[in-house]
Amino acid sequence: MNYVPLWCKTNFSFHEGASHPEELVEEAHRLGLRAIAITDRDGVYGIVEAHLKARELGVHVIVGAQVTVSESTVIVLLARDRTGYANLCQLLTIGRLRSPKGESVVTWDEVCTHAKGLISLWGGDRSLLVAEAAPQSDRGPDLVAGWLRDAFGDALYAMAARHRRDTEVRQEAHLRERASRYGIPVVGAVEVLYHMPSRRPVQDALTCIRQGVTLAEAGQLLKPNGEHDLKSPFAFAALFDNDPHTVGLTNEVASRCTFSLAELRYRYPSEHLPDGKTSSQWLRELTFAGAQERHGSVVPPDVAMQLERELALIDELDYCGYFLTMYEIVRFCRSRGILCQGRGSAANSAVCYCLGITAVDPVRMDLLFERFLSRERAEPPDIDLDIEHDRREEAIQWMYEKYGRDRAAMVANIIRYRTRSAVRDVGKTLGLSLTTLDRLAKMHSHYGDVAPDVLREGGLDPDAPLHRYLMRLANEILDFPRHLSIHPGGFLLGHEPVSALVPIENATMPERTVIQWDKDSVEGVGLFKVDLLGLGALTQLHLAFDQLQQYRGINLSMATVPGDDAETFEWICRADTIGVFQIESRAQMAMLPRLRPRNYYDLVVEVSIVRPGPIVGGMVHPYLRRRHGGEPIEYPHPSLEPVLGKTLGVPLFQEQVIRLAMVAADYTPGEADQLRRDMAAWRRSGRIERHRDRLISRMQANGIAPEFAARVFEQIRGFGEYGFPEAHASSFALIAFASAYLKRHYHAEFTCSLLNAQPMGFYAPSTIVEDAKRHGVEVRPIDVLRSAWGCILEELADSLPGNGDQPDGWRFAVRMGLRYVKGLGEEHGVCITGARADGPFESLDDFVRRAGLDVRALVALARAGAFERLGVDRREALWQIRALAKRLGMTLPMKVSETIPRFDGLGAFEVIAWDYDATSHSVRGHPLEPLRDQLAAAGLLDAQTVAARNDGETVRYAGLVICRQMPGTASGVTFMTLEDETGFVNLVVWPRVFERNARLAKSTPLLGVTGRLQKQQGVVHIIVQKMWKPELHRRLPAVASRDFH
Amino acid sequence: MERLACVNVPALPLQILLQDHPDWRPHPVAVVAEDRPQSPILSVNGRARKSGVAPGLSYASALSLLPDLRAAPVVPSHLARTVEALAARLRAFSPEVEASSHEPGVLWANVSGLHRLYPSLESWACAVRTDLAGMGFTALIVVGFTKFGTSAAARTARTIRVFADSSEEREAAGRVPLARLGAIPPETIEALHELGIRSVGALLGLPAAGLLERFGPELHRLHLLAADALWAPLQPQIPAEPIRRSVLLDAPEDNADGLVFLIKRLLHPMLSALASSGRALGALDVRLRPDRQAWHAERIRPASPTLDAVQILDLVRLRLESVGLVAGVLEIELEASGQQATPDQLHLFTEHQQRDLEAGNRALARLRAELGDDAVVRAVLRNGHLPEGRFGWEPMDRLQIPRPHPVEVRALVRRVFARPQGLPPAPRPSHDDGWLVSGVVRGAVSDQTGPYILSGGWWVREVRRDYYYIETRRGELLWVYYDRRRRGWFHHGRVE
Repeated sequence: MNYVPLWCKTNFSFHEGASHPEELVEEAHRLGLRAIAITDRDGVYGIVEAHLKARELGVHVIVGAQVTVSESTVIVLLARDRTGYANLCQLLTIGRLRSPKGESVVTWDEVCTHAKGLISLWGGDRSLLVAEAAPQSDRGPDLVAGWLRDAFGDALYAMAARHRRDTEVRQEAHLRERASRYGIPVVGAVEVLYHMPSRRPVQDALTCIRQGVTLAEAGQLLKPNGEHDLKSPFAFAALFDNDPHTVGLTNEVASRCTFSLAELRYRYPSEHLPDGKTSSQWLRELTFAGAQERHGSVVPPDVAMQLERELALIDELDYCGYFLTMYEIVRFCRSRGILCQGRGSAANSAVCYCLGITAVDPVRMDLLFERFLSRERAEPPDIDLDIEHDRREEAIQWMYEKYGRDRAAMVANIIRYRTRSAVRDVGKTLGLSLTTLDRLAKMHSHYGDVAPDVLREGGLDPDAPLHRYLMRLANEILDFPRHLSIHPGGFLLGHEPVSALVPIENATMPERTVIQWDKDSVEGVGLFKVDLLGLGALTQLHLAFDQLQQYRGINLSMATVPGDDAETFEWICRADTIGVFQIESRAQMAMLPRLRPRNYYDLVVEVSIVRPGPIVGGMVHPYLRRRHGGEPIEYPHPSLEPVLGKTLGVPLFQEQVIRLAMVAADYTPGEADQLRRDMAAWRRSGRIERHRDRLISRMQANGIAPEFAARVFEQIRGFGEYGFPEAHASSFALIAFASAYLKRHYHAEFTCSLLNAQPMGFYAPSTIVEDAKRHGVEVRPIDVLRSAWGCILEELADSLPGNGDQPDGWRFAVRMGLRYVKGLGEEHGVCITGARADGPFESLDDFVRRAGLDVRALVALARAGAFERLGVDRREALWQIRALAKRLGMTLPMKVSETIPRFDGLGAFEVIAWDYDATSHSVRGHPLEPLRDQLAAAGLLDAQTVAARNDGETVRYAGLVICRQMPGTASGVTFMTLEDETGFVNLVVWPRVFERNARLAKSTPLLGVTGRLQKQQGVVHIIVQKMWKPELHRRLPAVASRDFH
Repeated sequence: MERLACVNVPALPLQILLQDHPDWRPHPVAVVAEDRPQSPILSVNGRARKSGVAPGLSYASALSLLPDLRAAPVVPSHLARTVEALAARLRAFSPEVEASSHEPGVLWANVSGLHRLYPSLESWACAVRTDLAGMGFTALIVVGFTKFGTSAAARTARTIRVFADSSEEREAAGRVPLARLGAIPPETIEALHELGIRSVGALLGLPAAGLLERFGPELHRLHLLAADALWAPLQPQIPAEPIRRSVLLDAPEDNADGLVFLIKRLLHPMLSALASSGRALGALDVRLRPDRQAWHAERIRPASPTLDAVQILDLVRLRLESVGLVAGVLEIELEASGQQATPDQLHLFTEHQQRDLEAGNRALARLRAELGDDAVVRAVLRNGHLPEGRFGWEPMDRLQIPRPHPVEVRALVRRVFARPQGLPPAPRPSHDDGWLVSGVVRGAVSDQTGPYILSGGWWVREVRRDYYYIETRRGELLWVYYDRRRRGWFHHGRVE
């Protein structure tokens, strides 16, 4: 007799279930079961994954949950229909929101209130129905049974769960006796925790992780046997051979649960509409009003036509509300003076451009609207909005306020087990030493399997039984959900309460609530999400624009930055782009002199080309050769010319790859959409591979050469790593140009705003300061008499309108802010500036008395040299402060006269080293400047001299390491950037050289290298042959290095 | 002038760790405060130091520099035991030895006059160094005049140094970096470094009052010690002597009462000695040497520390009555272990309560005395799944007031055997009535229920048992299981 498993928990019952939802569904299908209920603990986290797999295999997934009710008892609820599903989600939301993160509890009353559309299975060893005797409270089984019967009627079943435990006999006797007394039918079940018995050890290990115990200590916290697998119909029938009726009832229950996630229909929140207008009318009105602002009073016909086309489709698909919401968010940001800009495929939409959501004109850029929205794809649009990173929270809180916490919740991010976390957690359960596990975890990369070689390297015997279990279990739990986190900015909004679609729970961060699905699940069931992302570059631009207004009276904005400024492009071409958004990385700076961007579109290409997609796909060199006339522009097939024409026959953008598949390999819109999803499932193994044969064979059938077909597939696989859509690159290119323009023309403002917007970008503040100094910007040290919390501009003595190299003649220095003093908080800054507002500080004693800082803050300032203008050097200040701060607390302050000991003065090198230690930068010099003679005597060149040497020469160089990068696309090659007082030197380190010198390369702040100089198209690298540690006999300060993997 | 020697066993925890893990010697090794990744490193060996791993760094951070860094904590009790062992060893070379209370591995010894026993103080130091090397420890030894001077100089000494006069000691101590002293907290060292003060000599250049105000009394005291402005004499620890008594008999005594009488004579002065130091007897070791036989040892523990001779002698008598000595006793040795006693325990006569737990404890002590220490145990519940894992026996030292929980009285009781008994294989199918589980005495199996499966322990020794309740024709209800790993049937209990 067939049956339906009604109580199955996946690994989304965090640290309890030991199988993926897909595995359970696949196994159910293999066993010939027509349906399976997924009933995770207090949630529906894994239901979408199960639903998608079930849809593929033709199995019916019953949506349910095991709900924790007061006094630690549980009940399993299954959704019969859409109402039942909404009730289940709302019930779970109630339980989750009242409980600390990770927990949930509801009352019987709440269960009964939400009973409509639900089936209740009452049983299991934690159920009241099997309890030994009725507890001495008013919530005994008799009373609760009465409530449940009234609420659920004939949808209430007693669940006899059997796992071949002797204790269950007595429990079942209680259950049957009570069920018969209450008139409730008894249905059979197994609490399924894994799809195969072989997963039992994983389940045991997960239990230990959840309980924080080792396997040896776990005892009865573990299940007593391995009978929690998904049973075959035969095995299930054998388990209930004394009562086949209970087996038959599982089918009856299943047939009553007709709800499927496919029924979810989503209505976007309708905005407040004026004068009885429909949302469609209101969107049209706003769009055309925006078009007139963008294009003048007469909207160009091609633009109008595009808008009409887009509006018709938006209306047809009923997405007007979504666009109006995005418009409202942008309007809110503008009203608060918050810079924001749409990114991603939204920039393909003229409507978005006219509504002010994006800043790129898609008509002028010939961007493909279908990449954003298409009828065939039947998928909601995805608008990502970049917001100044330090003001994003304002927008998030506004969303909660406007839509209410029941109609707005943030999307979750499911944190899954990776190699290191798996080794750590499993190792702990096996009782291995924590220090050993830490060592072992760090020896593994973030991705990949736990390997015997690494165990051996870590001093463990991979053949020892315990260590074999470590490997096996750690590998088995890879990709298992570990905990719920919060998506950086994804919101789910709904016209009806979101909790009717998916349960909402508390996030760790205060004032945040989060839904139980991540972005893939949200997308999987066709829901909309709004992404509010923080972008440091927008903060920087905003700060710079404000300074221009404040100090020079120039009103500059993103819209008024002159986009064709030749001088800016000149700087970009020579890679003078430290601090410039998107084109400041070592790889971008190496590309700029080769690509030589001369206009906005070149910059769009530049932003896109240095990405794993084009690099892995081998597109970079063909593009550069074609651009500079080194090879003819050819298309593998004439049909591809419209697709690849803009990029000289080489696919550089994600949408080109999609169109290529459609045109050259006859992909249907559905297939193309699947390809796009598979490319987007970054790092999920194997999803791109399934397109290989289909793509190559179809391209060949269309007359495309096999080599080209194979290369196109490699390109697609590359995009699977990471590639930009054209519209996204276009949005970023706008910000990049504005940022470069500021650097070229207003370097002081650029530097000041960049330093105030930290942390952001590719370089540490010390590098930004050094770069500014090399460009002639005066950067002044932190000074308690002048510095504010952030960096500020100070007028230079020779600053006069009409003078100097600035367009308006005004010249400014940057005064470093107190925020750069390590150990100083913003509240200290307020105390200092507040006290200074009452009058300048006259002495150190005066400062200590008036500023009211604690001794730690005073010491931090003294170390930074912030008291020097009060006439005390750092050591003297440190000596005095410790006494002054103590005397401050005396009830009767005394004037103490004491002789100040004479301390050794600091040398030039020490001053800089102290600056770095106290503030992570120095305006007084580069750490290597005072050591130059010593370095020169050792035959070491500076960066400027290295750059002037000839290609192929062998050079010896030493510099401070400011960047280490080992991109996955570079076949193990490591790129490093070294800095001295004259500039940078980029290193290329082949794997064998790196391995030989790994410790040195990873840890030393000052690195010496010997290597061959490579100069190509203005790009200089040293190909490293040897690494060494220069003997300077000085302790160099810790210099921040940005390391990327 | 009095001569002092400082024996410095540098990085003692590290030396202990390497003794415990000799296979770690070729690797970089660190001692950590606790067994967790974020634990700070306390000391490192040369290989680790060369790679930039230094004390203070967390183990997790150090691993990023040195992935094969081995590390473990050294538990304080292990360290204390080692220090005690070192001090005991040193006492063989000097009657007065003091171990540093705040820095394990630093010890001082009074060496005044020892040049008469040894050719020179250098050779005394050599002998000590060689002896400690025999224990597996490397030590640096400085002979000088003050505790501060010798211990400071012992931080930088190569092996052995003997100062001829105190000015030489002061000069050497002045050159010692502050960071090597070990007595100054790292944050104070850092603050002094910032002022350019790196050595003991430089510290002496700062005003003592200024240091007191800024850095507190500890650094001030150190300043005074370095300036020789504070008297810091050697404070040798005198090890507590055990209280022992013995008697050699003229003729072998084989009567227990006679032995008790002899023991009584020895015991009274021992109890007086204990009482005079405010202690009571916690245990009495009785060693007896029977005629032409090896020593026989017994330990007697009263219910609680006591000075009541009658109670102790009663326990002695019970024990001696239960011990079958093969020959008459020729020699008796007693050793008393004292414990700090409460005023009550020091009273020989105390008032008896109606429900006197102490009386119960005394009764248990008598049982232990008569039947051995393992004779008194109590059952405790454990949380295993296997029947034998659900309870255990643990020694019980003292009685507690019982606090019984109301328990449901079950109609049936399952008695579990201490060891399951093998059964003959069951016929197939097993529910046939031909299975004679225990010969014809019990009759064939007439009914069975099950299986109820218990499985687990896969990480150590996997167990998989299918349990059944079977009823025999004679009406017995037995509890049996089929062991899937051993492929056999076992009788594990019966239901009554």
